[in-house]
Amino acid sequence: MTRLTKLRESQFAGAAVVALVASAIWQVSSGLSFVIPSPAATAEAFVQNFADPRYLSDIGETAQAVAQAFVIGTVLGGAIGLLLGLSAAARTWLEPLLIAFNGVPKIVLYPVLLPIFSLGGSKIVMGVLFALFPVLINVAVGVRTIPPVYWKLGRTVQASKWQLFVHILLPAIRLPLLTGVRLAISLAVVGVVLSEFFATRFGLGRVVLQAYSHGEYAQMVSTILLLILVAFTMSVLLWRLERRVR
Amino acid sequence: MQGIHLNDVHVHFDHPSGITIAVDGVTQQVPPRSFVSIVGPSGCGKSTLLAVIAGLQPATSGSVDVNGRRVTGPDRDIGVVFQEDSTLPWRNVRENVEFAMQMAGVSKGERAAKAAAAIELVGLKGFEHSYPATLSGGMRQRVALARTLALQPGVVLMDEPFAALDQQTRIFLGAEVRRIWEQTHQTVLFVTHDISEAILLSQQIWVMSYRPGHVIDVIDIDLPDERDASIVSSPRFNELHNRVWASLQKESMRGFQDVETA
Amino acid sequence: MAVRIEPRQEVPAKHLTRPRRARWRPSQGVRSAAASAVLLAVLFVLVQIGVATGALRQTGLPVPTDVVGSTLGLLGTGAFWSDFGRTCLEIGASIAAGCALGFGAGIVFWKLPLLGRVFEPYLVSFYAVPLVLFYPMMIVLVGINAGSIIILSSVMAAIPLALNTRTGLQGIRPVHLKLARTLQCNARQTLFSIAIPAAAPMIVAGMRMAVVYALIGSIAMEFTTAQNGLGYRIRYLYETFDNKTMFAYILVVLILSVVLTVLMALVERVLLRGRR
Ligand SMILES: Nc1ncnc2c1ncn2[C@@H]1O[C@H](COP(=O)(O)OP(=O)(O)OP(=O)(O)O)[C@@H](O)[C@H]1O
Ligand SMILES: [Mg+2]
Repeated sequence: MTRLTKLRESQFAGAAVVALVASAIWQVSSGLSFVIPSPAATAEAFVQNFADPRYLSDIGETAQAVAQAFVIGTVLGGAIGLLLGLSAAARTWLEPLLIAFNGVPKIVLYPVLLPIFSLGGSKIVMGVLFALFPVLINVAVGVRTIPPVYWKLGRTVQASKWQLFVHILLPAIRLPLLTGVRLAISLAVVGVVLSEFFATRFGLGRVVLQAYSHGEYAQMVSTILLLILVAFTMSVLLWRLERRVR
Repeated sequence: MQGIHLNDVHVHFDHPSGITIAVDGVTQQVPPRSFVSIVGPSGCGKSTLLAVIAGLQPATSGSVDVNGRRVTGPDRDIGVVFQEDSTLPWRNVRENVEFAMQMAGVSKGERAAKAAAAIELVGLKGFEHSYPATLSGGMRQRVALARTLALQPGVVLMDEPFAALDQQTRIFLGAEVRRIWEQTHQTVLFVTHDISEAILLSQQIWVMSYRPGHVIDVIDIDLPDERDASIVSSPRFNELHNRVWASLQKESMRGFQDVETA
Repeated sequence: MAVRIEPRQEVPAKHLTRPRRARWRPSQGVRSAAASAVLLAVLFVLVQIGVATGALRQTGLPVPTDVVGSTLGLLGTGAFWSDFGRTCLEIGASIAAGCALGFGAGIVFWKLPLLGRVFEPYLVSFYAVPLVLFYPMMIVLVGINAGSIIILSSVMAAIPLALNTRTGLQGIRPVHLKLARTLQCNARQTLFSIAIPAAAPMIVAGMRMAVVYALIGSIAMEFTTAQNGLGYRIRYLYETFDNKTMFAYILVVLILSVVLTVLMALVERVLLRGRR
């Protein structure tokens, strides 16, 4: 294979071309309408933000909430998923309700959470509710589709419960689990930031909405891009890991 | 020029580490309305040869004529039964059998009548409305067979159609293929790796050699047309079996050594 | 001894097994539904008692029976139907547009693998990227109206469907495509009689996700800012401290999403009948 075709076939190069074309369109359209900040102005706002201690503490606030929501959501989702995958009784009782709840726009429950978990806790709970389901569903389905011969093998070598979990269950569901975790990260971001759109004193969601209402569009776009960039990068990294594990 | 005529067919596969010669100059013919089997070691190019006759793959050089026409691509007059399960899981048995006719634009009424006949022929009456998911592997291969036969192609190519099945089912389905052929007398080219099956079913056997793949032996099966499983214990069957086995064994050993030293 | 091999006629199973007088046992689905109903009822009663006795005072939860009452009361008001209609319009339009877009894109990415490979990282991560967060940008560009919500929701719905359609089409068993070739199927026949039905399980799963994403996206965006719609109304009622009506609206959203989930399960049953 020549180097040129290799480059052409490389996904990264293709994706970079798409990104370039998108920014060119952005540049052109920003010249046409005053509400669209130019890429340069956005980049400037992006850089300046990092010199602003208030902004940095907003980042910290959001990052902390997202991290907590992600960890709690993954652990909880994994646990419920395991329960659902392993126990027929749990499936009978919980499966329909969980499937129904998965389809619910959870954000409407935010006003219900506020009095219970207060301002700081509610957005974490919302992030958990968002992050929970992809892990839960993938683990439950993954466990249920483990070929029975694996369990039989485990029994014939008299593996303990813990050994079954570590040496059979986890390796068998590693792929769906990774996919669930990848989705959980960005859904935790969505849950937290949407909550911050609603009511909060700190966090990047508040920055976005404030910038929106003050008409500081460069600030708004640069913050949205920061959030999306972080979620995008994490997700691509995990996706590459997923493909390597395969 | 009825029947299948292979004229110095070569097939090469290019890949990064070199060229694989899968078929190396096969010149043979299948007389019209006859039943010919191909046996040969794994990887000797049987499937490739069949794919070329079916028009699924071009020959690197040489040519194939079927019933007087040069093969340049797939042709509905050449029916193929694949080795893998090729039933369509979203169609029930009747719809599966009708599929080939539907693609060929056969009218609805004719389709229904021919499908019913084909289903009866392969012994699946009463299963018209079952979906493949509820059928056994042998029954699914019968569905595939019925689908091919319903279109009444002049030539039927079968690539180890029963290889994935157990011994008994294979004998039963083999007997059915033979019985159906006795009724329809289509030109059949049948690939198998089971020598007994080949002798039991066919009028002629081609033995193929391991890479480069060509036909090293052509054996006429001079058993009576009316055969049953008891023929397996006849002296003539034994002779034929030994003869095929002898040519094949040389080849298998060669193929085996090739893999060992590769 | 001659063993003539008789052609074997397969016999439908019902002729083989003796009819058995079995005790009627409800199917898994029925038992599940009953169990969920019991759970919900227990929850309902617990909250009812909790609120009535004041044990749940600081949670701000209203009495469940009151919520049911005010939900029924809502059905008589024109304001409710205007919100409801707006949300249904947004969801319906984004499901339709999203499915068309995602399905079409999935087929194109399958037919043109180079394009598919280039867009794959974007699809995979957009599916996970918080697209809803683009909403403030959309309202700057398009305005605060159903249009900006429908556009974003459609994109959100389209992505999982496009990914699933492509994955499903790539996973078609080669023997099915070989069959199409030996039968000389034309491009249209191959696509509609082989490729799409073969990929149907993945496509339908993608559609289910598309519906969920359209619903969640539309309501979440309404909730963020809008001038109409169920999500907007919940936020408005919260900010005006009308707790009772707010819970009625929340209940309506829950019911709406359950109805959509059940509908999709039915669609799946019809489209995938006969398969395992
Ligand atoms: N698409 C391909 N590209 C490269 N090499 C191929 C391809 N198809 C077949 N071959 C090679 O051609 C040779 C013949 O393959 P073929 O499938 O025809 O064998 P076969 O006789 O049908 O074997 P089996 O009995 O195992 O089915 C093999 O060595 C195989 O590796
Ligand atoms: Mg083969």
